Amino acid sequence: MNPRKLVGTLVVAAALALPASGSAYYTYFIFTRQSNLASPLTMTWEQIPGHYSTASWRAGSGVSTDACWIGHGWLPTGWYDLHGHWDYYDSAAIKGRVFQLQDKECWNGTWRTQLFVHTEETASEGQYCPTPSNSPFCWEGDSDYYSAGSIKLSRAGNPSDIGLAHSGWHGKSGDYRHGYFTIAGWLYVQ
Amino acid sequence: MQRFFGRRLLVLSGAVAVVAASALALFGLGARGALPRTGTLVVRAGLLQTPGRFVRGEALYDGRGGQAALGGAVSGALMGPLSPVAVGSPDGRYVAYNTWRELRPIDNELSFAKQGISTGDALGTPSLRVHDEAGHDFLLQRGAYSLAWRGDGALAYVQGLEADFRANEPYAGQLVVRPGLHGRAAAWTTESGRYVVYAWAGSHLLFYRLGEGETLQLLVADGPGRIRALCDGSAIALSPDGTRVAVLGSDAQNIRILDVASGRELAWLDLATATPQLAWLGYSGSWSGDQIVAAASAGLAVFHVGPGSLGLEQVLALDPAQFPAGVQEPHFADQSGNQIVASADVPPQGSTPGSSFLLACDRIARTCERGEPAPAREWLRLVDNPSRPAGGGRR
Repeated sequence: MNPRKLVGTLVVAAALALPASGSAYYTYFIFTRQSNLASPLTMTWEQIPGHYSTASWRAGSGVSTDACWIGHGWLPTGWYDLHGHWDYYDSAAIKGRVFQLQDKECWNGTWRTQLFVHTEETASEGQYCPTPSNSPFCWEGDSDYYSAGSIKLSRAGNPSDIGLAHSGWHGKSGDYRHGYFTIAGWLYVQ
Repeated sequence: MQRFFGRRLLVLSGAVAVVAASALALFGLGARGALPRTGTLVVRAGLLQTPGRFVRGEALYDGRGGQAALGGAVSGALMGPLSPVAVGSPDGRYVAYNTWRELRPIDNELSFAKQGISTGDALGTPSLRVHDEAGHDFLLQRGAYSLAWRGDGALAYVQGLEADFRANEPYAGQLVVRPGLHGRAAAWTTESGRYVVYAWAGSHLLFYRLGEGETLQLLVADGPGRIRALCDGSAIALSPDGTRVAVLGSDAQNIRILDVASGRELAWLDLATATPQLAWLGYSGSWSGDQIVAAASAGLAVFHVGPGSLGLEQVLALDPAQFPAGVQEPHFADQSGNQIVASADVPPQGSTPGSSFLLACDRIARTCERGEPAPAREWLRLVDNPSRPAGGGRR
């Protein structure tokens, strides 16, 4: 292959490997536990080697600060792999844009399982608010930051925090995969 | 004038007496004739005798200084405080306990991938074991966890579809019931799921189904294949006769009393409207007479249950610096409902690992005695049996 053709092939290959925005940075999240209702979830990406940029959103986790209470406490500390990502997830309890996390053992040996980063929205990323009281797929306000353990972002506003985190993840990481896959060390909880 | 004041005093005295009598009827007096008051608990070290038996690591303690070796280390790895790690038989002769065999070491600071752990890799195996008063210790069931012991000796627990817990895979199992320690187990659920057994309420079995995001649903099994949902949320305690259950909403901010047989709501309390306000309540408390004790954001909350009513009677605050994670599984330890025992876990701080204590509190004097600390991974917990009615045995 002549050098000009080789360079051309490499440029095309590189363009295909990169997302439309042209970015493919090492990207991860940090959840800094401060309270169940208000703790920052920070997306960090390495735009230039050794130089990091960040974006933060308010998030919540659990109803108590004991990481060893299943279905009650906030998430245990440490690094988490991403176990999967969906745009239109549709399970009984969790729907819409979701990031599934690995299982995690807390400090007394209790396993926390089936954990997500998500919001309160429908499978089609909409809102279903049939009653004035708390509906599971409707973001009514601050009390929606409470969860059984998972990290929750707001669905209020346009773009919403879940929308910004979701598009931010794809745009900065250049990773547009959906479904089950693993990204090592995707989230750090501190 | 004097006669006028005398008459007013008489009326006033009568009114005070009526109010006092009403208060007594509503809340009752403490054993020493004092009303329980909201306030801060003063915690001192020096708990020498624990009311009741407890477990820690590979030992069973009688609370009076004696101990017996267990055949495995206690652990509630797959249930936390949703179900007791050690359950006393109704006749007091046996203790069934949960164990956990770790199949590979886990560094919780690192993610799975960074440790070479892939989805589906076996991480541990839960088992149920039984210890009797003669010191015999035997395996009840491998690949099983969370046990409830009925007054007639019937046992219920979750039997895993396979024995090992695997990374990122829900531990699916069936709810099984056997007539006694040596009877044959029969499945009561028709669909496998991530279940946790809580307690018997008479002939009804209360258990949880864990959903995605660790959502909790409280279910009732009325018999094999006869499963119904009771509520979204968790159980605080069963009434002494086993006909009612205090349940906690999934937001941990409202408490309801439900009739177990029908699911009908009998009383309800929104914590946002209670005084003093509580941010949250915890599941797995205790019900004695007409009082319920539950773990709460402040420390402990005691509720009074009336006919069709529910009121917050007392809040006992713990120093959050000393007990940042509060308490777990509080129980009334005496007939009068004045003594409360609980375990308290203290999360790791820096290089100091997590630890656990037993607390024995007097809610009238608002004091607690604290036992010796134990590593949190040794699961220092009281032997319990939340099934009701109680089987008349020792705890």
